[in-house]
Amino acid sequence: MAFFENLKDKALNTFQQVLLDKKDGSGLTKEQLFCQQYHIPDGETLIYRSNGVVVVKSEYNETTQADYQVPLSQGKIYLTQHFLIFEDENDKKNCSFNLYLSTVKKVERVSSDYGELALNIITYSKLHITLHLDDIRSECERFASSLSTTLKKYLKNLNKLQPFIQTCYSEYLLSKNKITNEKIDHVPPGGLGLIFKFPGNAKELRDKTKLKMWFDYFKEHGRHLSLIKTPLYYKLIRVGLPNRLRGEIWELCSGSIYLRIDHQGEYINLLNNNKDKKSFAIEEIEKDLNRSLPEYAAYQSTEGIEKLRRVLTAYSWKNPDVGYCQAMNIVVAALLIYMSEEQAFWTLNMLCDRIVPGYYSKTMYGTLLDQRVFESLVQNTMPILWDHIIKNDIQLSVVSLPWFLSLYLSSMPLVYAFRILDIFFLQGPKTLFQVALAILKLNGDELLKTEDDGTFISIIKTYFHTLDQSAHPSSSNSKYRNTTNFQELLVTAFKEFSNIDEEMINQHKNKHRDSIFQNISSFVKRTEIRNLPRLNNISNETLNILYDRFYSSVEISNITKGSGSSLMDYKAFLKFMSDICDWVQFIDPKDEKNDTHFLKRLFNHWDPEKQNALTFSDLTVGLNNLVETDLMTSMSNFFELYDDKHNGKLDRDSIIQISEDLLYITSPWKEGYLFDEITKVAVENEVANEIYQEQIKNGNEKFELPKHVDVNREKLEQQQVQRYLQAASTFMQRSFEYAIPEKEEVLIEDLAIDNKISHNAALNPNTPVYLDRPTFRMVILADESYELLFSSTLRNATHLSKPLDQKFNPIGNIKNMFDGLLADGKKVANQVRRRMDSRASQMTNNSSNNSIKSSKSKIEEEDDEKDDDFGIISIDEKDKDLILATEAQTLVDPITNKPANQNEFKRFHKAEENSIHKHNKENLIEFET
Amino acid sequence: MSSQQQQSSSTSTNNNSLQQPIPTISVKLVLLGEAAVGKSSLVLRFVSNDFQENKEPTIGAAFLTQKCTINNQIIKYEIWDTAGQERFASLAPMYYRNAQAAIIVYDITKPASFIKARHWVKELHEQANKNITIALVGNKYDLVEDEEEGGANENEESLRKVSYEEGLNLANEEGLLFFETSAKTNHNITEVFVAIGEKIPKDKSNESNINNGNEGGRIDLLNNEHIPQKSNTCC
Repeated sequence: MAFFENLKDKALNTFQQVLLDKKDGSGLTKEQLFCQQYHIPDGETLIYRSNGVVVVKSEYNETTQADYQVPLSQGKIYLTQHFLIFEDENDKKNCSFNLYLSTVKKVERVSSDYGELALNIITYSKLHITLHLDDIRSECERFASSLSTTLKKYLKNLNKLQPFIQTCYSEYLLSKNKITNEKIDHVPPGGLGLIFKFPGNAKELRDKTKLKMWFDYFKEHGRHLSLIKTPLYYKLIRVGLPNRLRGEIWELCSGSIYLRIDHQGEYINLLNNNKDKKSFAIEEIEKDLNRSLPEYAAYQSTEGIEKLRRVLTAYSWKNPDVGYCQAMNIVVAALLIYMSEEQAFWTLNMLCDRIVPGYYSKTMYGTLLDQRVFESLVQNTMPILWDHIIKNDIQLSVVSLPWFLSLYLSSMPLVYAFRILDIFFLQGPKTLFQVALAILKLNGDELLKTEDDGTFISIIKTYFHTLDQSAHPSSSNSKYRNTTNFQELLVTAFKEFSNIDEEMINQHKNKHRDSIFQNISSFVKRTEIRNLPRLNNISNETLNILYDRFYSSVEISNITKGSGSSLMDYKAFLKFMSDICDWVQFIDPKDEKNDTHFLKRLFNHWDPEKQNALTFSDLTVGLNNLVETDLMTSMSNFFELYDDKHNGKLDRDSIIQISEDLLYITSPWKEGYLFDEITKVAVENEVANEIYQEQIKNGNEKFELPKHVDVNREKLEQQQVQRYLQAASTFMQRSFEYAIPEKEEVLIEDLAIDNKISHNAALNPNTPVYLDRPTFRMVILADESYELLFSSTLRNATHLSKPLDQKFNPIGNIKNMFDGLLADGKKVANQVRRRMDSRASQMTNNSSNNSIKSSKSKIEEEDDEKDDDFGIISIDEKDKDLILATEAQTLVDPITNKPANQNEFKRFHKAEENSIHKHNKENLIEFET
Repeated sequence: MSSQQQQSSSTSTNNNSLQQPIPTISVKLVLLGEAAVGKSSLVLRFVSNDFQENKEPTIGAAFLTQKCTINNQIIKYEIWDTAGQERFASLAPMYYRNAQAAIIVYDITKPASFIKARHWVKELHEQANKNITIALVGNKYDLVEDEEEGGANENEESLRKVSYEEGLNLANEEGLLFFETSAKTNHNITEVFVAIGEKIPKDKSNESNINNGNEGGRIDLLNNEHIPQKSNTCC
């Protein structure tokens, strides 16, 4: 179901995002920071850098008068694969440019008045840029040769240029006015505003004047890929962009123009390649298409809706990690008024990846983080208002979150929101903070009067609707009177809060990043755990621990592998299991690739999608089966691991495999590293006996637990080792003995009766045989140690709730085990007391002759209660001796021991019956004859 | 509990002869549910008795208030209307914090939205105020109204994908109020808020919120004509 898919994705992605963004916080690579600073695409690297002087002239500048001074600027020069970058060292606004190298037409050496070497670069837009390099001669030469190599190398980019300039309105403007000779055949594609009108009154906005000013600017300073930015450039943007150029300048400011020229055709390809595909993101997009700027005429038409659908869908394919987030519909709808689909698409990419990263991601960590940063800034800049907000418990984010997330487009009238957007693309995300602070500041007096969220919100709402009105209607000064609220907002935002810069914002981000991530992580964790299937054997607390362990294993494995997947692969699974299971301590590293290995079998079995990886849900479902508390279900679960054909039959190979795996699983007990319950009781008995003997010897009525008791450890250990070795060999033997011949099923009836041939047939390796579920369970139940394995030993050796940070090695310290037992003095003391009591009663009965023996047997009976703890259930006590290992020996040759055999069957049948509610009755019929 | 029972237990207090100001109780109410199930429309209907076909999605959350008189008391609902898209869910705790009431909305024609509703019930039970009063609301009843009243056309697949019983069962299991509503046709909308107002525990802690209730702009739910006459149609 899509909903759960989404939840899953979300959980998985959080961790990647947390990882990614942490990297972010600790610093992007130098190259990345450089690319970000100059708005050029990631992947550019610095080839050369130097100081120098730059002089720019334009061929179109006919206005050159006698006293015209060629602008001159000193600053830093950088060369990358695709760009020649310059920035004035005093003030970058003085002069800066990102020259896309494909626009260079010619480079020539000229004599320099300022440095060692001067290069005159003539661009396609007829700019003459003279670089005077301020460097030692050899370095200057290196630059010259680097530049020429780079230019040659990217010569092929030149053919990208022609189709591209056809899409730039600036080019069209110059060509149409006969400034350039470029042939621009068609009006370049633009936004929906061309058809459905641009918002606002063009006359009032003095759109034509603005366009003319840009026209002049382009003539003198180049355009799009070879534009020189001078102080006028910033001014022209601040007064508001003309409708027809808005899209192109946004592209230029954000740097998305470089993505568009580098990836021409990608947008269309994305749409074509995913033409009829469905996705959860697309479902979500469809829900919102009719509700994105619905008041704008274009979005009441199919044309507008279609464009919006295509851009949002293409982006969801381009970046499935983000997919679609509400508010993106509003942002894209707004972009499309001024931009072509392709322009809007690449600008959206730039927004999501670089300008406001994490705003629209699956966890929206960027949004949450910026809200926290905003709160801090309010606190720092307007402490009185902040105290008021805190005192009255006003939820600031309810007003501010939509400002940031929809870039003011859903809050302010569009005309004003677009003015903010102009500056936002120019100056970056700090603009959002500056404007937000200014809004609060300008409404501060009113806001201080209110004590509830409702009024707070309505004050701001009213304010947004009066942005066109005079800020000082009653002022006698006409200049003040003519200032609108919006103008005042801009002045306040960019003058008063000019100190709010990227650096300050980053400092605040670093301060709050961890707590934001923690909140998100715990929310995602809660959600993922809540949506797991019902797990009977694992508590919620344990799930929490497992969740942490899962993601910590996944992260570790990914760091080493360098991939971004947060599914658990086999290697991580091995690590996971060896951390929590005593019985996985014995993995032979060479065995990891062995497909027949028990853990590989578990892994494959728990991976229902066969994607060779486990989700958290897969893992917990698997573990839940592994620690099953019901004996019968536990054995069945194990049986199913080997029932590859799902027909309830294990063939000869599976039987061999299962017995080998049982041998593997029981290694810790078989090797004497761990003690099972039987041994533990034996130890207790031994200790109790020791003390008891001591008591009798000393004639003490009152007894105390001694500090130290010598136990014959070796003997007990040996007994257990023997028991497990015995269990393994009898398992194999019995499995084949009771295996059912595949084609001679009629013989099953005779199985329990006297029929040598049938047994021989089963034992004959040439006869196909199988072990069915009831028989498997019977064979397991016939052995005390193996029965115990399924009822408790395995479960107790699987430490699901072991805390993540706890380092422990459960294997290899038997001494501790004994100490642990001794420390449980209560149990031992009870044992001793019982013996004492029993002895006392024996004495009074005057049957001292057999006292030791009978009291011993009595103790064993009294221990029955404890035996139940072993999970030996549903078997009559008097039958019990039959399954004890020594007696079970008689089963080795069942033909000579028929009566015991018959009895066995009855008992096993009884055990089966006890769990009849869970199991297939049909399977049991075989034993009823 | 069904809506008509709620209805009958309410009594009108629109009595001009009352000299004392009627006490006002503020109730913080949060709306949760999947995207595009009609949370904002439900609020818009309740607060402004209005309906918009293509309402912009709520970004983050919206806040609205509405007063109504229930059982001799003025209840001022402070309504936090949240964004429905899954990824906004991590913002929700910010809004349901201290909420005394919640309306969990699903779309009766969208089974996924019902699953989402279950999820929200769990989330609130685990994370929200212990005494929170929750109403489960299956919205967009208008979409199935015709087919159900006019007798469903056998050949056409019903638009309804979540049955009334399913909703009711969930509500009974979890101790929630339950209604099927239509913000579009104004079906059962006020009933939801009346039922919540009646169920909400009115302990002493709410007294601090009490102030003079003589402000304008409130609607008297029980004497108001925009209560739909046919309030039994949900069954």
